[in-house]
Amino acid sequence: MNAVQRFIRSRVLLLTASILIVAMCLSVLVQGQSQAALSRTVDQNSRGLYDVLVQAKAGGSGGLMQPDIATGQGGISFDQLDSIRKLSGTSVAAPISLVSRVTQNLEAPRLDATDYLGFNAGLAGTAGDPTATDPSKWPAAESVLSDTPKKYRLTASAVSSDGHSDQTLFKTTAEGSLGKAKLVEEQVAGGKNVRIQGPAGETGIKFPNPAGGSEHNLFNLSVSLPMAPPVTESVVAVDPVSERALLGTAGDFLAPLEKAPPADARNAGAIGRHFESLFTNGISMDQLKEGPDFLGVKLKYWAPLMTQYQQAKRDGQLTADSQAIPLIVRSGTALDLKYSVKIEEIDDSGNVTKDVGTVTRSLDKDYLPFVSKSPFALAWPGSKDLSNLMGDTGSFSQGLNNPATWTTNFAAAPKYKDGETAANGAVDKSATPGDWVTVNRLPDKAANGAAVDQTQRKPVDERAYRDNLETGKKLATPLAMVYGTFDPATVKEAAGDVNRLPLGGYDPAPFTLTKDSSGTAVNTELKPSLSATGLASQSAGAITDFYGLAAARGYDANANVIDAVRVRAKVPGSWKQAQPEVEKLANEIRGMGLQATVVAGSAREDANIAVPGYSKDDAGKESPLGTVQQSWVRQDAADAVSGSLTATNLTLLFLTLCGAALLTGASTVSYVRKRRSEAGTLRAMGWTQRKIRSWVLAEFGVGAALLAVVGIALSLITWSAATAIVSASVLVLYAGAAFVAAQQLRHREVVDQEPQHDERLMAIDSPLTFANRQLSTNKFNTIALAVAVGVFGASVGGLVALLIDIPRAAGASALSGLAAASIALPSIILGVSGVTVGLVLTMVTGRFELQAKRQYLGTLRAMGWNPDMLGQVRFFENAMVGTVALPLGVVGALGIGLLLAPYAALWAAIAGLVAVLCWIPIATKVVQ
Amino acid sequence: MTNELNLDREAHDRMTASTRRGGHKTRANTIVKATDHATPLELSNITIHYGGGKGGAEAVNVVDDFNMTLHAGEMHCVAGRSGSGKTSILTVGAGLTLPTSGRVFWEGDSLETMGDDEIADRRRALIGYVDQGGALIDGMSALENVLLPAVPDGEVELRRDMAKDLLDLVGLGRRMRHRPAQLSGGERQRVAIARALILGTRVLVVDEPTASLDRAAANRIISILKDTTSDGIAVLVASHDHELVRQSDTLTELI
Repeated sequence: MNAVQRFIRSRVLLLTASILIVAMCLSVLVQGQSQAALSRTVDQNSRGLYDVLVQAKAGGSGGLMQPDIATGQGGISFDQLDSIRKLSGTSVAAPISLVSRVTQNLEAPRLDATDYLGFNAGLAGTAGDPTATDPSKWPAAESVLSDTPKKYRLTASAVSSDGHSDQTLFKTTAEGSLGKAKLVEEQVAGGKNVRIQGPAGETGIKFPNPAGGSEHNLFNLSVSLPMAPPVTESVVAVDPVSERALLGTAGDFLAPLEKAPPADARNAGAIGRHFESLFTNGISMDQLKEGPDFLGVKLKYWAPLMTQYQQAKRDGQLTADSQAIPLIVRSGTALDLKYSVKIEEIDDSGNVTKDVGTVTRSLDKDYLPFVSKSPFALAWPGSKDLSNLMGDTGSFSQGLNNPATWTTNFAAAPKYKDGETAANGAVDKSATPGDWVTVNRLPDKAANGAAVDQTQRKPVDERAYRDNLETGKKLATPLAMVYGTFDPATVKEAAGDVNRLPLGGYDPAPFTLTKDSSGTAVNTELKPSLSATGLASQSAGAITDFYGLAAARGYDANANVIDAVRVRAKVPGSWKQAQPEVEKLANEIRGMGLQATVVAGSAREDANIAVPGYSKDDAGKESPLGTVQQSWVRQDAADAVSGSLTATNLTLLFLTLCGAALLTGASTVSYVRKRRSEAGTLRAMGWTQRKIRSWVLAEFGVGAALLAVVGIALSLITWSAATAIVSASVLVLYAGAAFVAAQQLRHREVVDQEPQHDERLMAIDSPLTFANRQLSTNKFNTIALAVAVGVFGASVGGLVALLIDIPRAAGASALSGLAAASIALPSIILGVSGVTVGLVLTMVTGRFELQAKRQYLGTLRAMGWNPDMLGQVRFFENAMVGTVALPLGVVGALGIGLLLAPYAALWAAIAGLVAVLCWIPIATKVVQ
Repeated sequence: MTNELNLDREAHDRMTASTRRGGHKTRANTIVKATDHATPLELSNITIHYGGGKGGAEAVNVVDDFNMTLHAGEMHCVAGRSGSGKTSILTVGAGLTLPTSGRVFWEGDSLETMGDDEIADRRRALIGYVDQGGALIDGMSALENVLLPAVPDGEVELRRDMAKDLLDLVGLGRRMRHRPAQLSGGERQRVAIARALILGTRVLVVDEPTASLDRAAANRIISILKDTTSDGIAVLVASHDHELVRQSDTLTELI
C-alpha cells in the first residue's frame, strides 16, 4: 500500500487535511469577497466634486480640514486663478469667496383680523383686473370682531432658539378696544367720500414706536406689531460657469447669473430707473407674474428691486457709484425665529375675561432673503384671507421696501484649538470664543422719523466664535437684484454624504450638540445665531458673481479676493487611479506659492468640539454649551480606511487558517500517537526508526502536497501575495505537526513498573476523582486535547477581538462606517467559519480517546454506575480539560488581542473564556 | 449435528432450548438440574437481532426465543462457538442491552418496567458483571478497580477491607497495588471477579473468563467461580472451555 492509499485509508489524516483545505478555500474566498467589497465601497465614495482645494495659506489642522473654506480672507488673485485653469491637468477650477454680511430689517409684523364689509364698488378698486372675482360673487360680509368694541390685550413676543435653548427677544403688551368696522359716507368738497372706520368708542391698539397702530381696511383690521429683530445673512461669490461645471445639474440654479450684465452695465440708478419706467409705462399681468425680461432673464423678483431702489433713493443712500448686485437667493432659512401674539379679551379693570388665542409664525421654507415682504403677517384666530377676491397681484406684492445693510465687517471661519485624539482617530477640539455681539436692537428712529421707545427691547448678547474681518473699502450702497433662488438641500445632495467636500458658504456643515454642559448626552442640531457670528451658520443668503463681490467690497477686478479654488483634475477613474495625476496637479499649484490640499480620497469625519463661554446670565456669568459635533474633512481617509481594513481582513484570514492549522497539528499528533502499536509491529519486523518515520511522514506528505496544490491554486486565482503567505504559513504549520507526530512514534522503554502507591494518590470515590485519575493517567492525550482547546479559545478570542475592533480600526470618518459595514458580513462569516472549523478540529482531536472513553464508561455502567454518574464522569473529564485549557485560551486570546486589537483585548479574553467554557458541554455531548 | 462439547449422555438428553441464528435453524442444548433455589435471574423468550439498520446491512438473528432460569447457588454456562450469541445473552441478562423481544426478570421483577436509574441501582445490588478480559480501568490499581462499584453508594472506605479480603480470596493479596498493565490476563480476570463481588452481588455474570488463559490459570478462575456458588451466588458464565462447561450446574449450548 503506497502513501496515498494509506493517507486515504487513514481517514483521520484525510479528514483533517480536508477540513483544512475546505477552510482555506472558504476563508480565501470570503476574504476575497470582503476585500472586493471594501475596495468597491472606498472607490465609490472617495472622489468628490473636486480633487484639490487651493487656499492662500495652510489650515494647519493635521489632516482634518475645517469645512469653512469661504472665509473672507481671500489671498488668491484672478491671475493665479487663470494660471490654475491653464494647467494641463485642470478640468475645472471654481473660485469662491465670502463677499459680505448683509443685515436685513424684516418688514414690520402685523396682525390681521377679518373684518370684511362685503362688496362695495366704491372701495373694491378691482376694475381692470381680469383675475378678480366677479363682484356679484363676493361673499357676504363677515368679521371676527363684534359690532360694539371690546377691549383686548395683545402680547407680542419673539423667540429665537439656537436648537438647545430658547431666548425671548422681547415681550411687549398693548391694550385697546377693537370692533367691527362700518362704511362711513362723508360729504366732502366736490362730492361724497366713502371710507371705512371703526365703530363708535373703538380706541384701537397701538404698540410703542416704531410700530404703527391698528387700522381698518377693505378686508380686515390690521394691527401693526413691534418690529422683529433684524437677521443677518452671508453672501458668497462664485464664477457661475465653473461652479455649474463643478456641481453638474445641481448647479443649474446658477444659469441666470451667467446672464447678468457686465460690471460696467450694473449702475443701480440706471437699472432702477429701467424698472420704474416699466411700472410707469404699464406692465402686463403676464409680466407681473413671470417677471419682466432683463437681458434674457425673467426677473420674477423685480418688485423688491424696484421698491428698494425707490426707498434707497428717497433715503439718499444711492449714489452714482451704486451698483446693482445680481443675486441667487436661498429659499428657506435655518434660523429659528418665532413671532407670537397672544390675544386676550379683558374687562375695564384689566382682568382677562376670555382667552381668544395665540397666533404664531416662524421664518420657514417660504422665506426668501431680500424678497420676503411680510414674513410675520399673523392672522387673528378664525380669520380668513379674502384678499384674493381682488385678484392675483403677482410678484408685485412681494416687494420688500427696506434695502438691506451691507457690511464688509464680516466674520471669518471659527477658530479651534486641538484636543485629544480618540482611539479610532476621532479628534477633539475646543472652539475659541471671540467677542460678544449684541443683537435685538431697535433702530434709533422709526421710518417716519419718530423716536423709538427703546424700553420695549432688551438687547441680547450672542457669543461670536469668529473673527471680524475688515476687508476692502466700503463703496456706495449696492442694490440687491434677485435673479433666482436656490435650494441648499439640492446642493448638499450633489456634494454626496460620505465624501462631502465643503463647497463653501452654501452648504455649511451642521453642528449637533452631543453633550450639554453637564455632560448629559443630547442630540440637538444647533441653529445659526441672529448675528451669524456663532458656531453654526446657514447656507449663504445669496450667491453672486465676482463683479458683485467687487461692487460690495470695493475691489478692482484683479484683487486677491478669492478665498479658495476647488480644482477638479482632468483624469477619470477612482481616487486611486486618479491619485498620481491629482498629486502632480497639486504640486504644480503649490509651485505657484499656493496651498493645494489633495482631497481626492478624503471623507467627512465628525470632530468633537468643546464650546466654552457660550452664554452668560444677567449677572454676566459665562457658561459653556457642551460638546458639539461637526463633519470635517479627513484627508487621505480612503487610504487609511482601505489600508487598515485590508490589514484586518488579512489578519482575520491568517488567524482563521493558522488556528485551523495548529488544531490540525494537534489532532494529527494525537492520531499518530495512537499508531504506536503499528510502529511496534513494524519495528518487530526489522524496520528502523528512520524507516518508520519516513513511512508516516510519507502519509503526511500527501496531505502537505494537497495543501500546497490548493495554496498555489488559491494564490494564482486571487493573485494575492497575502494568500500565498497565508497558504505557505498553513503548510509550514502542517509540516511541523507532521514532524512532531512522527517523533511520537519513537520507541520508549517502559520503566515505570513499580506498584502504585494508592495512599499517595487521591482516592477514587466520586465521578470527579475518577475523571481526574483518567486524565492524569493519559497525560499526553489530555494535554494535547487541552492545548487544542486552548488554541481554539485563543483563536476565537482573537477573531472576536478583530471583529469588535473593525469599527475602531476603520477610523472615525463616514467612509470608515461604510467600509466597515461592507466587510462586516464577510468578516463575521470568516469568524464564524473559523470558530466552527476550530470546534470541529478539537472534536476530531478528542475523538481519538473516544473509543477508550466509551469502553471504560461501559465498564462503569456494567458495575452499576447510573447514567447520571456516567454523565458526571464525562462532564468532569471535559471540565478538567477545559480548566487546563482555560489559561492558555484566555491568556492566548488576551495576547492576540493585545497584539492585534489592543482596545478589544479584554473582549478577546472574555471570548476565549466563553469559547473554552462552551466547548465543555459540547464535548460532553459528543462523548455521550 | 455433532456436539463439540464433552457432555455425558444424560446431559445430552436434557437439551431443550433452541435458537435461530442468521436465518438458519440452530439448537441450544440446555442441561437442567433440579434445584430448590430462588430465581434471581430469568430470561424469557429472548430474541436478539442485530443490523438491518440504515446502512443496509443484512439483519442477523443472534438469539431466537431463548429461555433460561438461573437459581441461587447455581452455575449456568452458556456455551457455543464464537459469534453464537453468548455475550449477547450475558449483556441482556445483566441489563446492559435490551433484547429485541422477550423479557428479563431480576428476582421476579421485569426490567421492562424499570428506568435506567433503577436498572443501574438494581444491577449494582444484584449483578456483578465480569467482561471478557476483565475490562479493568487503566491507571488504577487492582484495589481501586475492585472498589469502583462502591463509588456510587459512597462506600469506598467502608468496603476497602472487604476489597482486600476479596483480592486475598482470588489470590492477589500481594498484587493489589499493581495496575492492570502490570497484571497477567488471569490476574486481571481474578481482579474483575473480585470487583464483581464487592457489593455482595447475588448473580455473577462472567464472559469468557478463561479465554486466553493457560490451563492452570483457567482452573483457578473456575475454582473461584465454583466457590462463589457455594455462598449462594448464582453464576451465569459464557464459555467454550470444556472444563468450565463440565463443572457448571446447567448448560445452554448455542449451536
